[in-house]
Amino acid sequence: MGILKLLLSYLSIHPSPLRNPSTSLHLSQQAPAFLSSSESAKDTQETWLIYEQLLLSCLRTGDDNSARLCLQRLSDRFGVDSARVKALTGLYDEATSRSRGELEAVLQRYQDILKEDPTNMPIEKRRISLLLSLGRTEGAIKALTSLLSHSPNDAESWAHLSSLYFTQRLYPQSIFCLEEVLLILPNAYNIFARIGEVTYISASAGASNADQIEAFEEAIKYFARSVELSEWYLRGWYGLKLVTGKLIQAKPSDGTLGKMESLNQLATEKLVQIVSKFRRNVKGWTGFDEAEVLAAKDLIDRDEQKISR
Amino acid sequence: MASKALISLSTILLIHSCYSAHEHSLLTPTTSLPLDVAIETVVSVVLLCFGIVLGNREELKPISWSVWSGLMEREKGCGQFGYLEERVGFLDIRAKRAEFEKWVKGAEEGS
Repeated sequence: MGILKLLLSYLSIHPSPLRNPSTSLHLSQQAPAFLSSSESAKDTQETWLIYEQLLLSCLRTGDDNSARLCLQRLSDRFGVDSARVKALTGLYDEATSRSRGELEAVLQRYQDILKEDPTNMPIEKRRISLLLSLGRTEGAIKALTSLLSHSPNDAESWAHLSSLYFTQRLYPQSIFCLEEVLLILPNAYNIFARIGEVTYISASAGASNADQIEAFEEAIKYFARSVELSEWYLRGWYGLKLVTGKLIQAKPSDGTLGKMESLNQLATEKLVQIVSKFRRNVKGWTGFDEAEVLAAKDLIDRDEQKISR
Repeated sequence: MASKALISLSTILLIHSCYSAHEHSLLTPTTSLPLDVAIETVVSVVLLCFGIVLGNREELKPISWSVWSGLMEREKGCGQFGYLEERVGFLDIRAKRAEFEKWVKGAEEGS
């Protein structure tokens, strides 16, 4: 099998190689072989996709030489003025900066580009993430809100703004942004689960008892919707089990107790199935995040202890 | 193999029925098409469809959205909306690099 095919099949099994270090490492180790092979000269859509992924992985693992070569070929093909190549070049400059001064220079370059072309979305996004990386969260939020005011149908930006608000503990704003994502992508089950999580966290952080129960019920609705849209969404089931468990503990006086218990039981069954199949390495069940599975196991064990006590 | 045989058989039938229809229109242009030619056309097309579907090498995807996205979650750990959590456009490459260095160090110490 040629290296191009090998990389493509690897990417189809691991669609987001940046999520954990080992997949990035694997990809970047393939980079020199791919770059020196004859297949790297093919001008197909797939080849350029591979180039972009390799560039990101190599930057992450510190293989700057391969990264520079990828970037060089991308800019030869698409021109240095292409918005996407400009953003990737910026990314390369950020990654290889050694001092704060160099980063400030990169930021200044972004601002110059934006002065010429204020609608350059990829560069605007780079500027925002660089601001964030330099610790200027407030500036980043301001820039992101203005970006969203001129292009309000960019789901990625709404999701990012939500996470920024979340780090500032502005939970209602964070939920608002997630709801905007849902307006654009009504099937995004992970966003439903995320709203459930943020609702749960904000209710746990403060609020009186009655408000808390109301918020928990709200969170349950979101978790339930997320697992309705994706039957093996671990985080959805986890949230459902956690929050229904809390509500059962609070012993609601109205007739919702039975419903909560059956929901809790259903979530437990699903989680037990996920944990046991993941641990036995059953084919088709190995995609879960290991840390998330461990957390699910923890939750199940804690619950069992409570019952046996 | 079965699909290839089915496709060739149904193609021959289809060609045959077209030929019959053509001959019929030349010989007796005023009467309507005989029933057996019509039946042959329909049967050959149905068989051809079956043959093509049977010959599909790729696994068929589930029709139901929730089953399909559940499958993606448990096989690949990343559904169709994973990019909303990853957000490559806002990638903080310096943090990712630092995380990677830490991971490598941890792996070296662990081994």
